[in-house]
Amino acid sequence: MPVLKIIAIAAALAGLADSVYLTIHHYTAEPVPCSIISGCETVLTSEYAEIGGVPLAALGAAAYFAAFSLALLATFGNRTAWTLFGVQSIIMAAVTSWLLYLQASVIGAFCQFCLISAITSFTLLIVYIISMLLQRKKAI
Amino acid sequence: MKNEPKKSSNVPYIIIGVVLIAVLGVVALGTGLIGAGWWISNKSQQTANSANRPANSTAAARTPQAPVNAPPGAQPPNLLGSPTASVTVEEFADFQCGSCAAAHPAMKEIQQVYGSRIKFIFRNYPLAIPAHAKAYDAAVAVEAAGMQDRNKFWALQDQLFVNQAAWSPPSANHRQLWLDYATKIGLDTARFQSDMAGIAAKTRVDQDLARGKALGVNSTPSIYINNQPVPFPDVNVQSLRRIIDAELQRAASAPANTGTGTNTK
Repeated sequence: MPVLKIIAIAAALAGLADSVYLTIHHYTAEPVPCSIISGCETVLTSEYAEIGGVPLAALGAAAYFAAFSLALLATFGNRTAWTLFGVQSIIMAAVTSWLLYLQASVIGAFCQFCLISAITSFTLLIVYIISMLLQRKKAI
Repeated sequence: MKNEPKKSSNVPYIIIGVVLIAVLGVVALGTGLIGAGWWISNKSQQTANSANRPANSTAAARTPQAPVNAPPGAQPPNLLGSPTASVTVEEFADFQCGSCAAAHPAMKEIQQVYGSRIKFIFRNYPLAIPAHAKAYDAAVAVEAAGMQDRNKFWALQDQLFVNQAAWSPPSANHRQLWLDYATKIGLDTARFQSDMAGIAAKTRVDQDLARGKALGVNSTPSIYINNQPVPFPDVNVQSLRRIIDAELQRAASAPANTGTGTNTK
């Protein structure tokens, strides 16, 4: 169990670092040419890159920070925090799925740093599901 | 004994606090909100330095051979300045490309600064990528505008770049917006629509595309000065002026070589 929580902490920190990078990039990126090999710029400059003027990356950073905090508290024995972590990881995975759909179908381009965020987000959910399964096994 | 768990229960909050401060610090430094003005200015300085590179070093970095076999593109080309000028500036652009819209003011400044001393040619190069689904039609639209009056080509081209954020998103009703721009610049909208549907405007776009492909254009904006590609970091007024000035000087000092700027090979 602690191993799973440590994995969750590591994944949340990786997601946090990725989102922080994307947030900084959102505000400071120099323009790059549009390419036939469509990439990050298309995604990061799309109309979906902001919600109400707030960069999606910043919202992602806040979510990963919350996930990190909850996983850390859970590692120190706070059970409520782990339950909240589970709820949050489900919401994050759902949002990530929506963003992947947007990239694939609407924007028509993928961004590698957004894909890293997708991996970390799904990792959080997988870790939580495994921890629940192990808990159930123990209970049986 | 009772104090120990209390002590340890503070640890996660301390770690959370430290991480939060670290994250906020990195974001503030990275975006230049605090103290890191030097980092940002260093970055701009580096960009400026690259812009300040002597034209010769830029020229050295350019592809040495001129693309002699490239098709001529749409004829007559969308041209500003003098058709007989010794320096040709040829821009390949996509109306849905954010960087093209960002470069547009620089290209306009170049046109204004040099006037008839250069031959400025705009080539349509709509990228065939899903994110630019409206780019080809936008290119056809500006060509349709040009079929009424060459000046209207430039007027609509300007409108499309300036208002890119309004019409480019997937949810925007781009056709209605283009009609609004057409009305604004004084086009006959009925004819504009019929020209957009016709083959002539599309043929011009396809001809420009064929030329771009032959030159190896794979991103936009792609600028060629006397058939030599300009690296993207040099697509700014300062660097372009440096290169153009060098080319003008070269043409003036070697009059026998004038005319190398023809892009109608």
